[in-house]
Amino acid sequence: MGRLKQKGKAGAAKNFTTRTQAVKKAAGIFPREPRNKKKANKGSSAPTSFYYTKDIAYLAHEPVLNKLREHKAFAKKLSRALGRGEWSAAKSLDENKPVYRLDHIIKERYPTFIDALRDIDDALCMIFLFATLPTTARLPRALVENCARLAAEWQLYVLHTHSLRKVFFSIKGVYYQAEVMDQTITWLIPYSFTQSVPPDVDLRVMLTFLELYQTLLGFVHFKLYTDVALVYPPPLDAKKDDGAVGVGAFSLQTAESQVKRSVEKIKTVDIDGRTITGKDVRQTIKSISASGQQQDPDAEVVEVEERNEEEEAFIPRASTSQVASDLPTLQSLSFIPASTSSNLFTPYTFWISREVPRPIFEFLIRSLGGRVGWPASSGSGSPIEEWDDSITHVIIDRPPIEKEETLAQRELRSRRKYVQPQWVADSINAGKILLEDIYSQGKPLPPHLSPFGDHVGAYDPTVEPELADDVDMSDAESEDVGSGDEDADAGKDTVEAALESVTEDPAALRAAELAAEAAGMDYGTFEARVKKASKKAASKPPKPVEEAEQDMNKMMMSNKQRKLYEKVKHSRQKRTAEREKLETRRCAIQKDKSKRHP
Amino acid sequence: MLTDDEDDEYDPDAESDGGVDEFPEIDADSDSDEDEGEEDEDFSGEEDEEDEEESSSEDSELESDYHVGPRAKTVISGITGQPKKVYPEIEPDYDSDSSTEEATNRVGNVPMHWYDDMPHIGYDVNGKKVLRPATSDELDKFLATVDDPDSWTTAFDKTSQQEKPLTSEELDIIRRLYAGENPDAEYDPYEPMVEWFTGKGKEEVMPLSAAPEPKRRWIRSKWEKQKIMKIVRAIRAGRIVPNKPKTTSKFEFYSIWSSEASTSAPPALPAPKTALPTNAESYNPPEEYLLTEEEKKEWEEKDPEDRERDFVPQKYASLRHVPAYDRFIQERFSRQLDLYLAPRVQRKKLNIDPSSLIPKLPSPSSLKPFPNYQSLKVSHPKGRARCVSVSPDGAWGVSGDEDGVVSLWEVNVGCEIKRWKFEGKIGSIEWCPRQDISCFAVGIEETIHILVPPNVDSAILSQTQALLVPATLAPAASTHPSVKWSSTSASSWSVDKPMLSLTLPQSSGVPTQLHWHRKGDYFASVSTGGASQNGVWVHQLSKRHSQAPFKKIKGSVQAVLFHPTQPHFFVATQQYVRLYNLAEQKLVKTLMPGIRWISCMDVHPSGDHLIVGGYDRKLCWFDLELSEKPYKVMKYHSRAIRSLHFHPTYPLFASASDDGSIQIFHSRVYNDLMTDPLIVPLKILRGHQVTDGLGVLQVKWVPKQPWLASAAADGTVAVWCS
Repeated sequence: MGRLKQKGKAGAAKNFTTRTQAVKKAAGIFPREPRNKKKANKGSSAPTSFYYTKDIAYLAHEPVLNKLREHKAFAKKLSRALGRGEWSAAKSLDENKPVYRLDHIIKERYPTFIDALRDIDDALCMIFLFATLPTTARLPRALVENCARLAAEWQLYVLHTHSLRKVFFSIKGVYYQAEVMDQTITWLIPYSFTQSVPPDVDLRVMLTFLELYQTLLGFVHFKLYTDVALVYPPPLDAKKDDGAVGVGAFSLQTAESQVKRSVEKIKTVDIDGRTITGKDVRQTIKSISASGQQQDPDAEVVEVEERNEEEEAFIPRASTSQVASDLPTLQSLSFIPASTSSNLFTPYTFWISREVPRPIFEFLIRSLGGRVGWPASSGSGSPIEEWDDSITHVIIDRPPIEKEETLAQRELRSRRKYVQPQWVADSINAGKILLEDIYSQGKPLPPHLSPFGDHVGAYDPTVEPELADDVDMSDAESEDVGSGDEDADAGKDTVEAALESVTEDPAALRAAELAAEAAGMDYGTFEARVKKASKKAASKPPKPVEEAEQDMNKMMMSNKQRKLYEKVKHSRQKRTAEREKLETRRCAIQKDKSKRHP
Repeated sequence: MLTDDEDDEYDPDAESDGGVDEFPEIDADSDSDEDEGEEDEDFSGEEDEEDEEESSSEDSELESDYHVGPRAKTVISGITGQPKKVYPEIEPDYDSDSSTEEATNRVGNVPMHWYDDMPHIGYDVNGKKVLRPATSDELDKFLATVDDPDSWTTAFDKTSQQEKPLTSEELDIIRRLYAGENPDAEYDPYEPMVEWFTGKGKEEVMPLSAAPEPKRRWIRSKWEKQKIMKIVRAIRAGRIVPNKPKTTSKFEFYSIWSSEASTSAPPALPAPKTALPTNAESYNPPEEYLLTEEEKKEWEEKDPEDRERDFVPQKYASLRHVPAYDRFIQERFSRQLDLYLAPRVQRKKLNIDPSSLIPKLPSPSSLKPFPNYQSLKVSHPKGRARCVSVSPDGAWGVSGDEDGVVSLWEVNVGCEIKRWKFEGKIGSIEWCPRQDISCFAVGIEETIHILVPPNVDSAILSQTQALLVPATLAPAASTHPSVKWSSTSASSWSVDKPMLSLTLPQSSGVPTQLHWHRKGDYFASVSTGGASQNGVWVHQLSKRHSQAPFKKIKGSVQAVLFHPTQPHFFVATQQYVRLYNLAEQKLVKTLMPGIRWISCMDVHPSGDHLIVGGYDRKLCWFDLELSEKPYKVMKYHSRAIRSLHFHPTYPLFASASDDGSIQIFHSRVYNDLMTDPLIVPLKILRGHQVTDGLGVLQVKWVPKQPWLASAAADGTVAVWCS
């Protein structure tokens, strides 16, 4: 007989740890989902979050943890020194206080740059939120300033590379979507109102996250900036910043020396396919942006040719190394069509009225190549004056007021287009300049739709509901029948009966055709009828006999299958019910409207 | 209590409690030190020794400013010629100190609780009892505090058991203690220092020791020098930086991804991105997205976790009207909680057609024939039709009801030929499977009758009679005494009477199941509801012999079956089915269907498969070769399963339930052991009514035809044809 096995000493029970136990040792690792919860929880089925015991053991050797312990000792020493009034000792202690760095965590969690870039959505949201929070005792000024700086750096990068793709004004804030290195990055910025941290939010958790996010974004920005040959961090003009210039307070500088250095560095790094060299990416992005900025078609052709040469120079190297499919290579990047929407606003100059939030619209317009001006009340540093002749669009969000205008004013007014802010977002999302008339000042706006879409088969407000069409058509028909002659009616009935069987075989179709001819129906209407009939047949529920058979077959399903089946059925029904609800509601609203305004 | 004349003087004894003021009673004559010490002890037990000493030496040292009691006069003694103190005579009049006192307690330093139960609190100097002063109650105390402005200056005196006012000195001491000062008012913490060793003329000129001055007093330490030089050299070499550059919280970013990953461990799963906003979240959505009043109310009443959306769609005419979103920070926070508290699991998202989950089975129309419709009905108007049986040639059916009526009818036409009436409920009915004789067994309360139908072919009738009522009875030696076999002789027999009757033991209950062995000689009966636990009997017709195969059996038996090919016997108790080998008298197998309460079972004609039905609606299919656990468990009836039956020739079986429906299955069994049996649901037969919660009580197939006979609680017996 072997050794007696004790319960809870091997297998899942040993491999998993509960959260409380884990927190006792070290926190900050992700919980796992054991295959069998009951076994992992030593026989109890109470809901718990589990961690790998080995993860926790690994964490125990985390360098940050050691630093934290040192910090604890430091805090004790400092408070002791302060309590004794040993000021010089306290000062020297404070000067040498242990500081931990998180770069190894970043490296460990995101082995490649793309991994990091894929995960910065949450980081951006947090940074942009904390950049607008008021400073308090728990939120030091340095932190908020650093967040604001990181946020501005990100916006500058997006501006510089023209990588903004979509924007959505929601009730929660403004969603932006940019495409950076083939990754779609979406972030949400709250509207610029003062937020206060509610009491049910644990700020410590948020600050811990923020600490990691700041480091992550710092490294990501460094990589992004150096890849497009810019100096990181971009120097900030303090004087301009005080004048609420916003993003413009930072100046982007290309760094030749840095480029050379990084090129050398890259040459020493072995290219094994997993890492793409920053140089390649940089070149490609440069060429794309250059081609985007170029308006002359001839110049563009030249550019393309140049690019092809570059490609040829690169290709043999790429083929020798194994290229991971998910990483962007020079080829994949160079074949991206220069999106028409990235320089959508290049020909235009915009004036942002004082009631329109300038940071949002300045960012939107400038990242699509437009020029922007704003009144001094929204901040200094506007490149153009209000009376500038180059202004083509005025973004205005107030109702029009009838007032006396001088001739010059009227002329100026006639030369400019006055649009509401939604026009900018809708144009960006559509990828083209939309007609300004429906968005002009004071007009009721068309609905602002999400550019991100919905799940497949969801209700789409842009598509006219078919159901309503059908009803309308049949209504019209019945009216026609009522007014028309009686014998034609009888003929139509026979055609209808013939059409019933059309879907089954072509012979029946021919017969129906003949019947239609006999009834004196022209071919166009006949074809429409056929289509309708086939549609009807498709939409008709399967025969009840088959359904009953299927119902009976359900009793042979296993329990698991039955549950899954019920689940899928339920979710589908819920979706279709939601869609139908919205469709019927829309029909009702349309009818209501047409009644009011016939 | 201190007398008034002493108030302006400092009295060191005031530190001790109020016993001091009794001092004046000292007799002037007894002026010795001893006496005084004694007296001290007497009147104030709490005085410590120092006080004692002080008071004993008061004469010599502190005479000038230490006075307790009346002042003494110093007089030159006429006898000794020495000066002596003479105290004024104490007059026992109104003026004297002691007369102002009430009887003073001289109890000494004893715990005062000794006197708790006594009327007195001690003794005065004369040895008389000092009576306990009247104690004031709380109300009086309170009133005293209100009325008397000096009440706060009183303290409780233990010895006299009274509140006594404190003197101003005592109050001062209390104040000083309270303020953390020295209680002694005379104490001066800043006394001028008295110089003893410094100052002019006080220097120590001579050394204390004559030892010569050691070298270390004036030569630098060699070791210190070595240590210092070591540091100096280290500083020069740059190993020690005297002013280390201060650590800065800001650190430089660098190209972190230019080097390879340090760890080979796979990174954690990336967090799923948040769902992108849909049209409903727009500041200006299409109108159909807005919630109606009821929907809004419903949304508000729901718990935040149950809500489909975490916001209420709103429509604003222009962007400038959009307010701040009040739950922004909460949402970011909950996202972070998700990020670090929720386990990350990669789940495959199923995007399948739900109908593909339904097993693909052959269409019922390709598996014909099976019963489709109700062809005829025989009614038992007075009671529930409990049981039904069809003759082995398929021509006749018999059914019994709870009113005691057994009716014989033609299967093809449904015409009732004969009716028997018995006393008591009919529990079961079963036709003998033998073709050469014609009879059936009917189980009525505690008896089993063997009946012979009318209009039987004479040859068959005579054979039947020969079997049931033989001319010479075999010696019934081993017959169980409690079962009585009685027969009507051939001459006196008429169709109305049973040809043979068995009387089971008293109070054994109704035989609810009868089952014939395939050869028609043995049959088993199961009685339930009786007093005796063991209701299983096996009867042999030819020998008129009955035996109880089990002396004792675990659980109450629900049904029994003979194996169709082997000498095996199935016994179903409430939860298990046991298979016994009758020849070897041992248990072969125990099947565990997992049903709470088995109601019925049937064995496939091949003998390899068994179906078991239960009151908990489950039907279990056992492959006896395969396992003791069911091969298939189905749950499709909405009420308890009452009866199951395999068709003897066609691959069909039927189940009847209390929900009033009969389910017909196709059940093909393959000889190949590798192929699983094919079970296809074919048809649900509805037509019986549910009465008193009971539906179809028994189903039986018509041999040689794909027809089904069913007996139901609504008093009808139906035949279903294909």
